[in-house]
Amino acid sequence: MTALALRQDGPGTEAVPGPRRRLLGLVVALVVLVVLLVLSVMIGSTAIAPSVVWDALFHSSADVDQFAIRDFRLPRTIVGLVVGVALGLSGALIQALTRNPLADPGLLGVHAGASFAVTVAVGLLGVRDIQGYMWFAFAGALIVTLLVLALGSTRQGHSPLVMVLAGVCVGAVLGGAREALQLTDPDAFDAMRNWNAGSIAGRPLEVVWPILPFFAVALILAFAVSGPLNALALGDELAVAQGVRLVRTRVLAVTALALLAGGATAIAGPIGFVGLMVPHVARWIVGPHQRWIFAYSILLAPSLLLVSDILGRIVMRPGEIPVGIVTAFVGAPVLVALVRRKKSSGL
Amino acid sequence: MSNTPLMRRGAALAAALMSASLVLTACGGDGDDTGDKAAGTRSDKAGEPHSVKAENGTIEVPADPKRIVTIGNTNLPFIDLGGKPVGVTEASESELNVLPEEQRTAYEAAEIIGNSGGEVDLEKLAALKPDLILVQFSSDDWDKVGKQLEAIAPTVSWGLDTEWKAFADAIAEAGNTADALSRQKAEFKEKVAKIQKTYGKIINDTSFVDVSRGDWSDPGTFYIADIGCSEIARDDIGLDLPEAAEGKDPLAYESLPFEQISELSKYDVITYPVDADGKPTEPFKSVVATNTWKALPAVGSDRALGVFCPGNNSYGPVIRYLDSLDSALATLPGKQ
Repeated sequence: MTALALRQDGPGTEAVPGPRRRLLGLVVALVVLVVLLVLSVMIGSTAIAPSVVWDALFHSSADVDQFAIRDFRLPRTIVGLVVGVALGLSGALIQALTRNPLADPGLLGVHAGASFAVTVAVGLLGVRDIQGYMWFAFAGALIVTLLVLALGSTRQGHSPLVMVLAGVCVGAVLGGAREALQLTDPDAFDAMRNWNAGSIAGRPLEVVWPILPFFAVALILAFAVSGPLNALALGDELAVAQGVRLVRTRVLAVTALALLAGGATAIAGPIGFVGLMVPHVARWIVGPHQRWIFAYSILLAPSLLLVSDILGRIVMRPGEIPVGIVTAFVGAPVLVALVRRKKSSGL
Repeated sequence: MSNTPLMRRGAALAAALMSASLVLTACGGDGDDTGDKAAGTRSDKAGEPHSVKAENGTIEVPADPKRIVTIGNTNLPFIDLGGKPVGVTEASESELNVLPEEQRTAYEAAEIIGNSGGEVDLEKLAALKPDLILVQFSSDDWDKVGKQLEAIAPTVSWGLDTEWKAFADAIAEAGNTADALSRQKAEFKEKVAKIQKTYGKIINDTSFVDVSRGDWSDPGTFYIADIGCSEIARDDIGLDLPEAAEGKDPLAYESLPFEQISELSKYDVITYPVDADGKPTEPFKSVVATNTWKALPAVGSDRALGVFCPGNNSYGPVIRYLDSLDSALATLPGKQ
């Protein structure tokens, strides 16, 4: 039997699934993700037989095709998984924090901070490899997010609206500064082209391992604040009445999303739509329960990223399209279709 | 927003005055010594002019120009022919690093008049009092500054699609360096003949592929080089190298993901870019570091050859490329 609960948080009353159906949906999302992980290792711009893929993973030898699987497709798939999880969860956090279903980590200046820092690293300091400039991206994202958090602090505490406005302003300033730097140094612009497009290709696992501890901390923080964020969705006054400590909740949530979005951007460059669309879809499926939204986002976002990346590998063979471009192509129409539905998800 | 007729007339008058002032500066008497360091001597009498056909028409040039300014891709080819320009546009550090010492000295002796084709400092250029300007850049850049250049001195311009041998011929004709060109052509011909004779069997029986990576390449990508030095190896030497289908973009325009390194297994010999010391170029290091590259049959059997290509736009660097190719082919078994 499927349990249904009534939801009264939007303009209309919507039916949302009960815990068993949510759990079933979660299992389906997990299966989809596993299938996409397998496909991501199987499919590429080079045709390699499934038996070779199997051998590459479980009976390794010095075969050239096996190395191609182990050197490139496997790391790429793991990068897609990790970046997807981070983008999905950070998107869910920013939407919960700002009570805005169209919010995206970029609103807090995360992408702008990372891009500006990478431009400085590439253009002024001559850093050319991704292992070098990923730390600049991470630091840039974190510093700008903390700056936005500080600017968003008013005498009444942290206001989501002021924080978003501060993020947009800081993002605009840094975007202008970045473009000015790139215009004066075309080589830097050239070197950053791929990073700016957002891609998980050509990233060795060495760029993922150092970021993982930060993601682990962020994951713990995110689930720790999921309950208070549920209460925040009802408004500050009701949340306080339920014992929520507003400042602590917001600071922890912003810290978690900065670590997640900053780390993901550092690894893959700015990838749009995943952090915006997936939590939106998750909320549409499970209703306004942050813990469930987080869990669904963690599974659906890497699925979207991987399917986009697989498409990017095969539509322009033998070349490829960066995943950031494909997510925009796939994500934008899907999101438009979703928000035009009568049951589009609110907060 | 539209300009009024009065404003347009004003703008036209200002442009005319500016052009006139540049011409007067160019034709004026001896001013300061700016740019004289490279010229050494200045001929007051440029000799009998002759006509040169170029992209911008048939141009009357002095028979023996003494104060030549080179813009865009004409810098290094002109210097390669023994020319000593009084003004040049900026060349990249990677281009300058592979120049022979005397050519680098000639380049550094010239006045820098801009960082790229369309961004020439016209006042600085005019102050050099050139008697000839050699130009190769895009048509967009020509549209921006072409008329002003022609107002300063006879200007010979070639498009970016000019074939390198025809380009060398044209520069030598305009810049009066035909003797140097003849020597280079003879040396080139001799080296090509020597390679074809020495490695005839390899050339006939071996499949080659030339792969590369540039500073601009996206992370995790490389490309199959079918233009530049690779084109010379294919078209002049006769190596069996991949080529784009007729009417299609060169293969080099397509960035290939690293996983396609495995596709190189089908070639007998792989050539890749190295610097003057024989080490893989900086951008290509990431390719040779992969296990997939190391597992290629050609790499495992010492049939992956590093070849130094210092340039492909004039005979001098091409001859150095042929020397490097010759040395690389010598390491293969079964020559002739």
